[in-house]
Amino acid sequence: MTSLEFIPATLGIHEPWVEKGGVHWLQPGKLTVRELAQAMNAIHARFITITAYELPKDEGLRLEYHWDLDGQLLGFPFQLAAKSIESIYDLCEAVDWIEREIHEGFAIDFVGRDYQPLLLREGQTPGVNLREEVK
Amino acid sequence: MSYKIPMGPYHPGLEEPYKLDMICTGETVTDANLSIGFNFRGIEHLAESRNYIQVIALMERVCGICSNIHTLTLCQAMEGLTGLTPPPRAQYIRVIVAELERLHSHTLWAGIAAKLMGFKTMFMTCFELREKVMDVLQAISGNRVNYSMNRIGGVNRDIEDPDAILKMVEAIEAEMARTVIPIFTTSRTARSRCAGIGVLTHEKAASCGVVGPTARASGLAQDLRHAAPYAAYAEMEFNSPVEQDGDVRARLMVRALEIMESCRILRQALAKLPPGELHTGDDKFNFMTGTATSRVEAPRGEVMYSVSWKEGSRNPARIHVRTPTFANMPAIRWMVLGARLADTPLIQASIDPCYSCTDR
Repeated sequence: MTSLEFIPATLGIHEPWVEKGGVHWLQPGKLTVRELAQAMNAIHARFITITAYELPKDEGLRLEYHWDLDGQLLGFPFQLAAKSIESIYDLCEAVDWIEREIHEGFAIDFVGRDYQPLLLREGQTPGVNLREEVK
Repeated sequence: MSYKIPMGPYHPGLEEPYKLDMICTGETVTDANLSIGFNFRGIEHLAESRNYIQVIALMERVCGICSNIHTLTLCQAMEGLTGLTPPPRAQYIRVIVAELERLHSHTLWAGIAAKLMGFKTMFMTCFELREKVMDVLQAISGNRVNYSMNRIGGVNRDIEDPDAILKMVEAIEAEMARTVIPIFTTSRTARSRCAGIGVLTHEKAASCGVVGPTARASGLAQDLRHAAPYAAYAEMEFNSPVEQDGDVRARLMVRALEIMESCRILRQALAKLPPGELHTGDDKFNFMTGTATSRVEAPRGEVMYSVSWKEGSRNPARIHVRTPTFANMPAIRWMVLGARLADTPLIQASIDPCYSCTDR
């Protein structure tokens, strides 16, 4: 069993965990999502999901990555400056469908992987969950 | 010579619409590709236009089988944002209804599995058992599908006739022990259709992040009722059956044994059901700005809701639902590799898929 308190130091993060709303949150700082996925693999954390948020106007999008460690839900928020982020599919097979769903719902590009349509059909435009219609 | 066989989206071997394209060499499946989205209703997006009362009714309709689990998970998340704690009696009633729902889901699944095996008599036996559970759920809630049991801060209805539930529990335990489990475990037909079929190895199950009975049948001992207890589960004694083989038979056995464990939980919850209020009494709620997350062990595995709210708003800013079938379904591709074409409907059914949940 890996104790939560040792994880930030392993990741090179100086901020402590913040428990809020049923989740242990850690701000990833300069850590990339791929480095995070490798670290989660190393401690045998179980991938749960990614939640995408469309923020108020001009603030962009936020992705929250969730892993489970011995029944504790871990959360790592990533603010997206552009509509893209590195894919972790090659590091974590379980993200396949959720990366595809977020790509279709929020038109976010997960760099470094190919897509097949998941909820949409071939040729349909991604971004069906955005507030403004994507043309 | 390889050839592609499309199964679905509308096919007699599938319970709901989805599509599995299988590449076969002779009768053997060598690759497969899944397509979903035929039930996509945009429920998460729709939720943003519903107030805190309406959204509970909306999310209850994510799934026709585990409708109660969706409102339970949502209400727990909303309680996190309002600072409300349901009274003890409500926590016990939540456990009772959740376990009744697990019983009805697992007996339904056992019936469908029996039908796909060619066991029509067993199908009827399982559905007869399920009817007993449905009768109890209808007596409690007035409904057979959407029970409307959960509200923010508690439950809407009481358990007025615990003896009726106990009688049903006794009948199910007796029939499971007398008929269902012995036949599923000893019948030559059941063994030949299930043993060694649709194997998901322990390593692949962990890699795919599968949940619930599908995970436990591949040797992954994960169950949120133990790992992160909610409602009154911390006060219940029960086991989470785990099998190691990862085949259809293992998934069948895990669910059959879980039926017995659900009966055990129901007996305890009914015996210990505390007196008191059903809910906090609030009917207007002040939500804090932020996100709350709740996870629950549904019949098919872990459900997670992330609910975001802005203070002063009546509507959620965002609701994200991660359903168990969404986590389990990608593993079908690995289960059918090397399988005979004729076994693929049963292999798919063995994860007890729900596409209404998956597509939302």
